[in-house]
Amino acid sequence: MTTSPLQTAGRFVGQSVKRKEDPRLVTGHGRYVDDVTVPGMLHAAFLRSDVARGRITRLDVAAARECSGVHAVLTAADLNDRPAGPMLPSMFADGSQGISAPVRPLADGDVRFVGDPIALVVADSRYVAEDACELIEVEYEPLTAVVDFERAADDTENLVHPELGSNIASTMATPPDAALDEALSRAAHVVTETFYQQRQTPTPMETRGIVAHWDPYAAALRVWMSSQNPHEVRRTCARILGVAESRVRVVQQDVGGGFGQKYFMPRDEMTVVLASHLLGRPVKWIEDRRENLLSSNHARRDRATVTVGVDADGRIVGARIEHLEDSGAYANGGTGGTGMFVAMMFPGPYRIPRLGWSTTAVWTNTCGRGAYRGPWMMETVAREEMMDVVARAIGLDPLEFRRRNVIGRDELPYATASGMVYEHVSPSETLEQAASLIDYDGFRSRQAEARANGRYLGVGLGLYIEPQAGMGALGVEAANVRVEPDGTVNVFVGSGSHGQSLETTVAQVVAEHLGVDIDAVAVHQGDTDVAPFGGGTGGSRSGPILSPAARQAALEVRDKAIRIAAHLMEAAPDDLEIDGGVISVRGTPARSTTLAQVATTAYQQSDLLPPGMEPGLEVISRYKAPPVMYSNACHACTCEVDAATGHVTLTRYVVSEDCGVMINPMVVEGQIAGGVVQGIGGVLYEQIVYDDEGNPLTTTFLDYLVPTAAEVPVIEYGHVETPAATPGGYKGMGEGGAIGSVPAVFNAVADALAPLGARVNRLPLGPSEVLAAIEAAPAR
Amino acid sequence: MKPAPFEYHAPESVDDVAGLLAEHGDEAKPLAGGQSLVPMLALRLTRFAHLVDLNRVAALRGVSRDNGSLTVRAMTTQAAVERDAEVARAVPLLARATPLIGHFQIRNRGTVGGSLAHADPASEYPAVALALDATFELVSKSGTTRVAASDFFEGTWQTCIDAQQALVAVHFPVWGGRCGFACEEVARRAGDFALAGAVAAIEVDDAGAVRRAAVGLFGLGPTPLRAHAAEAELIGEPPPTPDGYRALGQLAMRDADPVDDVHASASYRRRVGAHLVARTLASAVEEARQAHDPPGAARAR
Ligand SMILES: Cc1cc2nc3c(=O)[nH]c(=O)nc-3n(C[C@H](O)[C@H](O)[C@H](O)COP(=O)(O)OP(=O)(O)OC[C@H]3O[C@@H](n4cnc5c(N)ncnc54)[C@H](O)[C@@H]3O)c2cc1C
Repeated sequence: MTTSPLQTAGRFVGQSVKRKEDPRLVTGHGRYVDDVTVPGMLHAAFLRSDVARGRITRLDVAAARECSGVHAVLTAADLNDRPAGPMLPSMFADGSQGISAPVRPLADGDVRFVGDPIALVVADSRYVAEDACELIEVEYEPLTAVVDFERAADDTENLVHPELGSNIASTMATPPDAALDEALSRAAHVVTETFYQQRQTPTPMETRGIVAHWDPYAAALRVWMSSQNPHEVRRTCARILGVAESRVRVVQQDVGGGFGQKYFMPRDEMTVVLASHLLGRPVKWIEDRRENLLSSNHARRDRATVTVGVDADGRIVGARIEHLEDSGAYANGGTGGTGMFVAMMFPGPYRIPRLGWSTTAVWTNTCGRGAYRGPWMMETVAREEMMDVVARAIGLDPLEFRRRNVIGRDELPYATASGMVYEHVSPSETLEQAASLIDYDGFRSRQAEARANGRYLGVGLGLYIEPQAGMGALGVEAANVRVEPDGTVNVFVGSGSHGQSLETTVAQVVAEHLGVDIDAVAVHQGDTDVAPFGGGTGGSRSGPILSPAARQAALEVRDKAIRIAAHLMEAAPDDLEIDGGVISVRGTPARSTTLAQVATTAYQQSDLLPPGMEPGLEVISRYKAPPVMYSNACHACTCEVDAATGHVTLTRYVVSEDCGVMINPMVVEGQIAGGVVQGIGGVLYEQIVYDDEGNPLTTTFLDYLVPTAAEVPVIEYGHVETPAATPGGYKGMGEGGAIGSVPAVFNAVADALAPLGARVNRLPLGPSEVLAAIEAAPAR
Repeated sequence: MKPAPFEYHAPESVDDVAGLLAEHGDEAKPLAGGQSLVPMLALRLTRFAHLVDLNRVAALRGVSRDNGSLTVRAMTTQAAVERDAEVARAVPLLARATPLIGHFQIRNRGTVGGSLAHADPASEYPAVALALDATFELVSKSGTTRVAASDFFEGTWQTCIDAQQALVAVHFPVWGGRCGFACEEVARRAGDFALAGAVAAIEVDDAGAVRRAAVGLFGLGPTPLRAHAAEAELIGEPPPTPDGYRALGQLAMRDADPVDDVHASASYRRRVGAHLVARTLASAVEEARQAHDPPGAARAR
C-alpha cells in the first residue's frame, strides 16, 4: 500500500519501473561467483580452530599433503610472510584511522576465536579439500577465553591480542559537562535504563566466495568475488601482492546479498589470493553456511546505558549514553568502533539540548564484528526503547512523549547537541503519518478492550534519522554515460549493487535526463577494467551519491547531443527537445532527427560536427557529495503476546519514510521490506550464542533463526517527500528499514507486556525470554 | 559441508535392503527422505561407508487398513500422509500432527519411517506413535520383529533398531467409539521443530465420562514421553473443569524431563508443556463429547 502522491514523478524517475535484473534472477539464471569455472581451477577449504583461545602446540599437515588430489596444504609458515601490505580495508591501511587487530593470513602459534583459520587446503575438489582438512593434526594448549564483553575491558590477564596490551580496542568520551549535570539535577524526572542488543550476523543468501587467478606469465591477477565493492577488492589485492592496480582485474557478478559483510575484502578472501599467487593456479573458495555463521563476521553486540532528564511538561532537558561494543577478535573494517556514530546520532529526531556520551569497544575471543546494515544502529535502538521507558515512567503515552520532543519542520536547520545539522528532514511528519496509518488511537481503544478479555496487544514506534556519510573515500561516485552509434546507451558505474536494483534505478535516472526510453539504457557495474573507479555499494550511498553522477553525465550527454542536432538541423539548441531518442523542434515534431543519427555523426562523421567540437558522445561525471546527508522514517508496529506461551505475533506493520525524491517507489519499498524483515529477525529470532568457553552454539540455520515469509506481516508504506538539496533531491534509504524496525517491534512487545508488570531490556525476545519476563514481574 | 566419501546402494526390494544391511553392518545406514541424514553427513557429524537408499523399494510405500489397525509403510512420505483420506479417518491424530512437521518442501521428501527411526525427541510422529501404542515392524536378514512403541525409543536419536534392521512399517491402532484428538506445539517459527508439544487422544463413554486417555509429550525429554499420571487421573472421570485441565497439565510435567538449549530454557518448556497438555486435553475431550459416532464416520459424511 502506498499513500501520499509523489510531488516529483517524472517519465521514469518516480515510477515503479519493473526491475531489469529480475528476469534472470527470478528464473534462477543469475550468475554468482560459484558459477565461475576457470580451466585448471583448484578448490580450497580452511581448517579452522575449534578452541576460542589457545596456543598451537602441534600442527602436522604431512598426512593431508599426501592425500590424493591435494595440491597444497598451506599454513602460517607458507603464507604469513607473503602479504606485501596490511591486510586491512584501504581506508585504514595507512594506519591513520580506526583500530585494527593484528591480522595475519593464518593463525600463527595461537588461535583467537573458534573459526580462526589455521590452514588452507587446495585440492582438486572441495570434497577432497575437506577430507584432507580432517587429516591435519592440531593440538592446542587451551587458554582462558575472553567471551563476556562486559568483563573484557577489566581483564588484564587474558588478552585477546597480546600485541596490543589491552582488551580495550578504543574508548572515547565527552569531557565533564557541568551544564548537563545541572540540567539533569533540575529535571522533574530522571530515568536510567540499560539496553542490550544481541550478537547477530548478516546471513546473505549467497555466502562469501572468491575465485582468484594469479597468472605468473602475465604477472596479472584476475579475481571474481562476491563483493559489494570491486574497486576496494582491487586496491586490497594490489596492496597485499605488491603489484600495480592496473595488473589486477576484479569482477563482481550477481551477488546474493551482502548487508555490509562484503563491503571490504575479508581476511579469508585475501588468504585465497595469496595462495593463488604462491601456487600460480586459479583457486576457488566458496564459504559454506557453517563458516558463514562461524567466522564471517558478526554484528550488533552492544550495551547502552541511557539517562534522560525530562521537565514537568515532558520535554527532554538532557541525556547521557554510555556505550559498550563487542568487536570480537578481528573487527572487519568500518566497525570495531561504531561508538562514535552511536554517540553522534543518539539525539536522533528529538530536541535534546545537552548530551554527554562515552563509548568503548573491546576485543573478545569471538568472531569479529563487521558492518551489518545500520552498523551504528544502537543509537536508535537505545534511544527509541528509552523513549518508551521514559514515557511509561512519567505517565505519558509514547506517541505523545515523542510529539512533545520531535524536531518540527519550522526548527530546521537544527543543530543537535552532538553537532549534527539537520536540514530537509521530516521526522514530525513521518511520526504523524505512521501514527495515522496504524490508527494509533483506534488501536489504543481496541487494546484496552482486549486487555479486559485477558489478551495482550501492543503498539511500538521507532523514529529515526538515517545519516549517509559522504566523507573522504565515501563521498565520490562516478558514472560514465556512453551513447553508442545506434543511439542506445551504455552506462558504466563504480557501484556494487547486490540487491539494490541499481541496474534499474540508474537506467531510470539516465533515461529521464537523457531523453531516451528506459529499454535503450543498459547499466554495467562490477568489472574494474570497465567501470569507473567508485566506492561500491554500502552505507545507503548509491541512491544519493551515484544517482547525481548518473544524472549529471546524462544531462551533459543530452546537452552535447542537442548541440550536434541543432548544428545538423540548423536550429537553435534552445528550441530542441529529446524524447524517446528522437530530437525535434519543440512544437514542430516533423522537424526531427534521432539520437542514433547524432551518435553516428559524433563517432563516424566528425566532419559534420560543429567546428571545434570533440568527437564522440560519451561523458564521465563524478559527483562529490556533502559530508553528511540525512533521510528519516518512522516505523509503527502492532503485536499480540500470548501470555501463556510467550509467543509474539506481529499483526500490523507500517513504515512512513522520507528519502526525498524516490527514483523507484517499488524499489524503495522493497529495500524497506528487506530491512524490516531483518529487524523483526533481530527482535524475535536471531542470536549468535557462545558458551562460556567461547564455543559457538549456533552454526547452522537450525539454531540461527532468520524470519521467513510466514513470520512477517504485510508491510504497509507511507511516503513523505522532502527533496534533498542535492542534484535530483535523492536521499539514501538502504539501511533504514533494518534500523527503525528493531525498536518498533521491541516497543510493541514491551507495550503489550506493560500491564503485566513485565519489563524487558534485552534482545532477542524469543518466547522463552518473554515468558521469563512475565514470570519475573512483581506480583500485582 | 561436504560429506565424507561413501558408497551408494539403491536396492529395489526389502530382501536386498536386508542383504545389504547384513553385509555392511555398522558401516551402512538406510537413506530415506534424507532430510535429517543428509545434513548430518554434510556437516560430518556422522559418516557411513555405505548408504542404502530405500527410495526405490516400492513395497515400502503406502497406507492400508486392516480391521483394527492402520499400516503405514516406512517410505510413505509425510506429504502423502497429510493428503490421505484413510489416514484422516482411521488415525486422525497422525493426520493432524503432519502439517506441523517442517515445511511442505520437507514433507515432500521426509518419510514416516525416517521421522520415527531418526527419533528426534522434538518430533511429532514419535509422540503420536507412543501415545497410540503403535507397533513397529523391523526386518533383517534373519526375519521380521515387532516392537511396541514403548520399547522402540531409547534415547535422543536412539531407537532399538540395530544396524542389520530396517523399519518397514508402523501399525497404528484405530480407535473406535466417541473419540477426540488434538496435537499442539509451540515452535519458534512456522516449520521449526517444537520447543514443546503435546498430543492427546480421548474416548468418552455414553455418559460423557473418559473411558480411554492417551497423552504424548514431545520436546519435553530425551525421548517422546507418555504422561501416565495425567492419563490415570482422567480415566473414569467426567470432563474436567478449566482448573482441572490446568492441574492435569501440571501433573503431566511430572513425567517430563526437558533440557535448556539456545531456543528455550527447561523451565520454559515445562511451563508451556503444561499449558499445551491442558489445551490438547480440553479440545480432545470436547471433540469426543461432540462425537456421536466414531470420529472417522462423522467426518466422512
Ligand atoms: C528445515 C527442516 C525442518 C524440519 N522440521 C521438522 C519438524 O518440525 N518435525 C519433525 O518431526 N521433523 C522435522 N524435520 C525432519 C524431517 O521430518 C525429516 O524428514 C525426518 O526427521 C527424517 O525423515 P527422512 O525420511 O528425511 O529420513 P532420513 O533423513 O533419510 O533418515 C533419518 C534417519 O533415519 C534412518 N532411517 C530412515 N528410514 C529408515 C528405515 N526405514 N529403517 C531404518 N532406519 C531408517 C536413517 O538411517 C537416518 O539415521 C525437519 C527437517 C528440516 C530439514
